[in-house]
Amino acid sequence: MRVSRKDFLKLSATSAGVLTVGSLLSGGMKTLVPFEKGKVKLGEKFVPTTCWIGKQDCGLIARVVNGRLVSFQGHPDHPRNKGALCPKGVAQIQSIYDPNRVKTPLKRTNKKGIPGTWEQISWDEALNTVADRVKDVLERDPRLFVWQKGRSKAKDFYDDAFVKSTGATKLHHGAFCSDAGYRALEYTIGMHGVLHPDMRHTKYLLSWGWNITNAGGNKFCWLTWPQQLVEAKERGMKVAAIDPRLRGPAHFADDWLAIKPGTDLALALAICNLLIEKDSIDHEYLRKYTNSPFLIGDDGMFLRADPEEGEEEGKPLVLDQATGLLVPFDTEGMTPVLDGKTSVSGGAKTAFRLFKESLSGSSAEWAGDICGIHASQIEQVVNDLAANAMIGSTIQIDGKMLPYRPVAIMAYHMSQQELGFQALRAMLFVSMLLGSVGAVGGQFSDFTWKEYKNWSKFADISVKEGPYNIYLSGSKFFPINSNNSSLVAKVINNPEQYEVDYIPEVFLLHHVNPLGSFPDREENIKAYEKIKFVAAIDPWLSLTADLFADIVLPAATIEKYEGPMSATDQYVDATAMRIPPIEPLFQSRGEIDIYLDLCERIGVLYGEGGYLDIVNNELKLRDTDFALPLNVKPTPREIFDKYSKLNGLEGIEFFETEGVQLKGPVSSSKYYPYAMETPFGGILPHRLYGESLLVAQHRMMEMGADEIYYRDYTAFPTWRDLTVESSPPEYDLLLMSTHMIEFKQSRTPIPMMIEMVPNQVVEMNPKDAKAKRIADGDEVIVESIHAITGETRQVKSIAAYRENIRPGVICMPHHFGEYVKHPWVKGTGPSPNSLYFTGEGYVTNTADQTYLVKVKVTKAIGGK
Amino acid sequence: MTSYGMVIDLNRCTGCRSCMTACKVENNTTQGNFWMYTFRFEEGEFPNTRVWFMPRPCMHCQNAACVKVCPVGARYKREDGLTATDWDRCIGCRYCEVACPYGVNCFNWKDPNKNHYLDWNDPELLAETGGGLPYANPDLKEEYGDENRRIAGGGHHKGVIEKCTFCVHRVEDGLQPACADVCPTRVIHFGDFDDKNSEVSKLLKNNPNFRLLEEMGTEPNVHYIGGQPPTSKTRQIEEVKARV
Amino acid sequence: MTTYTKKLPYGVWDFTRGWVFLAIALLALIALGIYAYSIQLIEGEVVTGMRNLGTMGGATWGLYISFLIYFIGLSFTGISIAAMIRLLGLEKIKPIARMAEALTVIALILGALVVIVDLGQPARALVNLFRYARPGSPFFGTFTLVIAGYLFASQVYLYLDGRRDAAILAKIPGKLQGFFRIWSAGYKDTPAEQERHHQTSFWLAIAIVPLLITAHSTLGFVFGLQVGRPGWFSSLQAPEFVALAGVSGIGFLIIIAAILRKVLNTEEILDIDVFKWLSDFLMVLIVVYLYFLVVEWLTITYTAQSHELIIANAMYTGDYAWAYWLTVAALVIPLLLLGWQFIFKRYQMAWIVISGFLVNVAAIVKRYLIVVPSQTHGKLLPYEIGSYTPTWIEYSVVLGLFALGTLLYISFIKIFPIMEVIEIVEGGE
Ligand SMILES: Nc1nc2c(c(=O)[nH]1)N[C@H]1C(S)=C(S)[C@@H](COP(=O)(O)OP(=O)(O)OC[C@H]3O[C@@H](n4cnc5c(=O)[nH]c(N)nc54)[C@H](O)[C@@H]3O)O[C@H]1N2
Ligand SMILES: Nc1nc2c(c(=O)[nH]1)N[C@H]1C(S)=C(S)[C@@H](COP(=O)(O)OP(=O)(O)OC[C@H]3O[C@@H](n4cnc5c(=O)[nH]c(N)nc54)[C@H](O)[C@@H]3O)O[C@H]1N2
Ligand code: SF4
Ligand code: SF4
Ligand code: SF4
Ligand code: SF4
Ligand code: SF4
Ligand SMILES: [Mo]
Repeated sequence: MRVSRKDFLKLSATSAGVLTVGSLLSGGMKTLVPFEKGKVKLGEKFVPTTCWIGKQDCGLIARVVNGRLVSFQGHPDHPRNKGALCPKGVAQIQSIYDPNRVKTPLKRTNKKGIPGTWEQISWDEALNTVADRVKDVLERDPRLFVWQKGRSKAKDFYDDAFVKSTGATKLHHGAFCSDAGYRALEYTIGMHGVLHPDMRHTKYLLSWGWNITNAGGNKFCWLTWPQQLVEAKERGMKVAAIDPRLRGPAHFADDWLAIKPGTDLALALAICNLLIEKDSIDHEYLRKYTNSPFLIGDDGMFLRADPEEGEEEGKPLVLDQATGLLVPFDTEGMTPVLDGKTSVSGGAKTAFRLFKESLSGSSAEWAGDICGIHASQIEQVVNDLAANAMIGSTIQIDGKMLPYRPVAIMAYHMSQQELGFQALRAMLFVSMLLGSVGAVGGQFSDFTWKEYKNWSKFADISVKEGPYNIYLSGSKFFPINSNNSSLVAKVINNPEQYEVDYIPEVFLLHHVNPLGSFPDREENIKAYEKIKFVAAIDPWLSLTADLFADIVLPAATIEKYEGPMSATDQYVDATAMRIPPIEPLFQSRGEIDIYLDLCERIGVLYGEGGYLDIVNNELKLRDTDFALPLNVKPTPREIFDKYSKLNGLEGIEFFETEGVQLKGPVSSSKYYPYAMETPFGGILPHRLYGESLLVAQHRMMEMGADEIYYRDYTAFPTWRDLTVESSPPEYDLLLMSTHMIEFKQSRTPIPMMIEMVPNQVVEMNPKDAKAKRIADGDEVIVESIHAITGETRQVKSIAAYRENIRPGVICMPHHFGEYVKHPWVKGTGPSPNSLYFTGEGYVTNTADQTYLVKVKVTKAIGGK
Repeated sequence: MTSYGMVIDLNRCTGCRSCMTACKVENNTTQGNFWMYTFRFEEGEFPNTRVWFMPRPCMHCQNAACVKVCPVGARYKREDGLTATDWDRCIGCRYCEVACPYGVNCFNWKDPNKNHYLDWNDPELLAETGGGLPYANPDLKEEYGDENRRIAGGGHHKGVIEKCTFCVHRVEDGLQPACADVCPTRVIHFGDFDDKNSEVSKLLKNNPNFRLLEEMGTEPNVHYIGGQPPTSKTRQIEEVKARV
Repeated sequence: MTTYTKKLPYGVWDFTRGWVFLAIALLALIALGIYAYSIQLIEGEVVTGMRNLGTMGGATWGLYISFLIYFIGLSFTGISIAAMIRLLGLEKIKPIARMAEALTVIALILGALVVIVDLGQPARALVNLFRYARPGSPFFGTFTLVIAGYLFASQVYLYLDGRRDAAILAKIPGKLQGFFRIWSAGYKDTPAEQERHHQTSFWLAIAIVPLLITAHSTLGFVFGLQVGRPGWFSSLQAPEFVALAGVSGIGFLIIIAAILRKVLNTEEILDIDVFKWLSDFLMVLIVVYLYFLVVEWLTITYTAQSHELIIANAMYTGDYAWAYWLTVAALVIPLLLLGWQFIFKRYQMAWIVISGFLVNVAAIVKRYLIVVPSQTHGKLLPYEIGSYTPTWIEYSVVLGLFALGTLLYISFIKIFPIMEVIEIVEGGE
């Protein structure tokens, strides 16, 4: 049955203003129903689907009248948005009908590097052209074919299948998003995510670079987190914001530590130090579940028992408290010494002892100086952490007694800073010391406690000799490697420097706009000039497509089948699907359609190992009654129909009518690692001590890598001065960048949103501005400098006075950018990405992009 | 009797401006016309800065200045407390606008069809939609209330005034106003103050609250909880510069 | 047995070259105004400089409403002078009575037009303003009362007052004879009738005075009652309006009288005494108005709360200072000129006319200052400070209206004696 208006109203009523607090947090289903009447009008229907703009795919109910989309409302049953929507979610209706969409396949008729002039061509011609180019390179050398995707929506089975079936090199956006944090968490506790709290129970939250009122937080697009935050605050949770700007946390922050960007590592170390000093640490967790008690020899390696046969390496040793003997760390019923040293091998110490010693200098004052905040503020945070952590306490959840540590950190995109990988490790250490990792109200990173593949990979970080592939994976430069496409650009521009012996010829861009979104823009432009053939699958003429695409394939927006999508809000498990409320507009087509045709033409659609086969695998259809036959081309709807049936539903009709498949609350034994039959799912011990990092460093040195590459591969996070700080003093301001609630990334241009934010601005503290005789609203020149090469770049923008940003720092949000062919985007101002640099000094040791550069700001001559 | 109104919880507001957007889509208001406006505020100096947000619909005042001055009764109070604008009767004198202390009125300076953001009559689009604003809400042309007057939605005619209608077309249909319905953090509560058991009545009873420009004697039907009114020290940031 | 001159007095029906040129020039300006207004009708008022208060940071009332107040102000004087002549029997200035009445009627017509021009839905207004009239709205007071009632009254007045002259002129053969007959409507200038004529005009005068006061007060209320607009809510508004109306009106009459005195070379009728009286009266009114200005300044700067102050500062020192001090100057200078003449009893046409001109500049600018700053700067919620600059459309429309008024005036002069006709007896037996 379709959702009738009446039923829908019942639903929507639950989403109405009147909600019990708890419902804001999760489910939100059974609440007061203040309004009940209402009937479906003639020619009106309601189609459940999911938001097309954002990355968390909020549930929508599309109101369709006589075949026209009239409005979107939040799907009341969708756990992630519970009937609500963010402004983009509502306004997307405008961009769906936007006449400036790419309406037909386009073929470039002018030279590349400048805004394109286009000829409309048929799908047939377009697909054949792309297929031929791909076939051609695949026959010569598959490495020459690069497939690049940006911030994904929905499950990426269909594009993964394309990559696998063609053997393309895959580039993604992670290195520009939050991958430094992902790598840190994967390395340390094996989770694929950054940092977020068990908001249901948290009492003290560090909003550590979380743009509460505008964006993300860990994993989510936005909406779910503020809902949970508001509820938690009304329950009494205290929030301390560690953020150079207050605009994000706004009035939700009880305390504000206006930290200097990029210095979070120092702060985290100081907090660890103070916690240890006042012994506000969870000895049991550290002993049982981390490698803190492991003994480290003077070579920096674990002391190990002699290998038993079968193992090539013995078990790390710990010091038995009872007997004082060295025993393998996993010896039954033994309690290891956490903070100790031995006489063996030049006085081996426990990892914890070494950590403590490494922190000796990290006082509140030391960090205060580096971070530009008061030591007293740091002490305050430490006291609040200690007071709220209630170390040792337990709480009963579903009949089980679990550790109760209601303190946690929320952090995400801020991990893209020069020391990001180690900074996020150190931040996680704060939670580890307090024993809040996986505890009730404590520190979480992913929505379920599942081991991520890198956990074991990072036990032994491979560092190979060249030649390398274009993103230098496993190289002596970036052995841990987040796949940074701007570095790829750098490599393409100087292959031999990076020991790469080929340059790709064909790029297929899917849902990505590197020139708009990825620093550094100039490096990327140079590289794209070297690429022989570029095709883009995009509903819009992105900056990248406009400058460099030979062929543009018009993607459908919301008018397509896409999914399945997790709809969990971390507490209720659910699955949703993007359902086309109307037929694809113009000649646009859904990606799955496009890939099916493309694969057929390339010749990789059918048979074993072909596209369909891999789709079967990724959707777990393989070897079931619902497997796709490997010799007929299915429609996307058929694929999802089989998927639905496999998952015990009557078919795709279920999603076409209900939208969301609610699977009920996430069981505590799935959510809380302490409630699992093997705690933490056996992903142990947590790596406080990064032995394999040290090993990697040695390997890099042996291979003669420069210090700049290996210096941050240290066993413990270690503070060093940031590269940007070595810029000439006249470049006296730090440029940072954030996301805005009105826009999504390199902006899907929604006029209604642009109307609210008509142009880019340079947010600066009036103190800084006045010192430079810059008035609020003045036109200004922002000039950045490369600390190492001295290269400078300039953009023109408008100064905006803000008392909510710390002096010495300016902020230019993402989302803006020149030359985009859209009446509303033209002239809205520059992207900070034309000021940032990439490569050595501007990426982390894991090849993650940073968003920090030194600039000077001057009043533009003739500026108003 | 019914007396519809709102209770707006400033503690919860993230300043996301979804309410503004939902209002625009639901009511098809034209470019530059914001019936709902969410202020983004800044107070104090670094590091003692405060950032907060305040949504501002029409206050649907019980003693509405705008109603008193309307020379033709196009602006009027309904039984249920709504302050309505009859867009068939309005002569566009904009007297209600100068009379209103809250700056909520929006005039149609331009032909609405030429003021809806994009060229909806682009040939290829026309082929798909048949032209005109694709997301035009059919409910807005209906008559509402026992008085059967056309008071819903915006952008109907050049030269008439419009403002927040409390989504009369939704409310009469048993739905929450679009802004209340969309709000991610449930800031906006809509209901009947004459019903002592309504959510809004309860919220009002149980929370310290205020109304904007109380001293004007306009008796707004929109109440705020969880905060303080803006003062002369309150600076607006990220203001929307509405343009036609 | 007396006979009358064959020639109509005061240049009635004699279209001089100058007159024709002027008429053509005025028609050109009117055409410009119509052109501008037609653009406004087609495009909507987006072509004006007006915008919404609040999020658009504009003024939703601008030049048009400013001139509405100005025009109504002018009309005030005409009728009041006429009334005073009747009630106080001011024989001395009787010659300007009809000039004043004509001014009233024409100014009111312009007032009515400028309101229509300001409306977003003028066509609807013509119906709705009456069909759905709400006496509660000060707007009703202004438009239905002032413009309809008051316009009617002053026309009746003009008509009755003219009957005698019409009767006299009806005896003169010529194109207009018929027209005069109709106007005189059987009125034979017999002593009895003369008496009745005086009686009616007297009572009419009395009847008009309260109408006049209410009308102008309600106009003041249009602003004065608005709590929502800092700078408007003030009990002063009404009396202040009346005072400034007087100032501008008298000033304008002085100009008209002076011109007619020249072109109709009627120096002996419009002798300096007339102007003496006008000049002294104007002086008094300026003093009264300046007093209001000072009181206004005191109340704002001492008692006002922040919002009023923002506007005050905008006016005294800020964005509108130039306009405000221009007003003051354009009032003080005339005051000095007139005062000097009054004290030394040495009256100079030139000075009097200049004063008349200056006070009208002052009046126009001050009307603008009443209307605009309270919108652009009078924000009770923390909206951005706004701004308003009229566009060429608005200027052209206003100019066109002025031209129309002038044309009407000079046309009236050509069909009816602008001063009471004195019978000239050409010898007898
Ligand atoms: N200065 C600065 N730069 C930043 C950031 C910052 O904070 N500051 N943030 C960084 C972060 S966190 C990220 S994740 C990246 C994101 O950067 P990207 O991964 O590039 O993401 P988008 O810009 O959102 O999407 C790129 C293109 O996808 C197209 N697109 C949208 N929807 C669809 C679809 O359904 N199908 C197809 N085929 N295409 C679609 C859009 O039109 C757009 O052209 O940007 C990074 N860049
Ligand atoms: N509306 C909207 N929502 C989005 C997106 C969007 O484009 N628009 N993008 C989505 C994506 S892809 C992502 S990755 C997330 C990102 O979501 P977030 O990471 O929450 O948000 P960001 O805007 O990246 O900014 C992070 C916060 O960190 C602060 N910050 C910046 N540098 C530093 C630093 O060095 N140290 C500290 N302590 N704080 C710092 C900024 O002031 C800001 O408050 O948002 C997602 N949600
Ligand atoms: S939060 Fe993201 S996914 Fe949800 S509605 Fe907004 S843009 Fe869409
Ligand atoms: S939608 Fe809700 S949270 Fe967002 S601005 Fe409006 S009231 Fe505030
Ligand atoms: S807020 Fe203004 S428009 Fe709304 S009812 Fe009150 S006075 Fe009228
Ligand atoms: S603009 Fe319309 S509603 Fe407002 S006062 Fe004039 S006629 Fe009434
Ligand atoms: S109640 Fe309706 S009309 Fe009023 S602001 Fe909210 S959405 Fe807009
Ligand atoms: Mo991201």
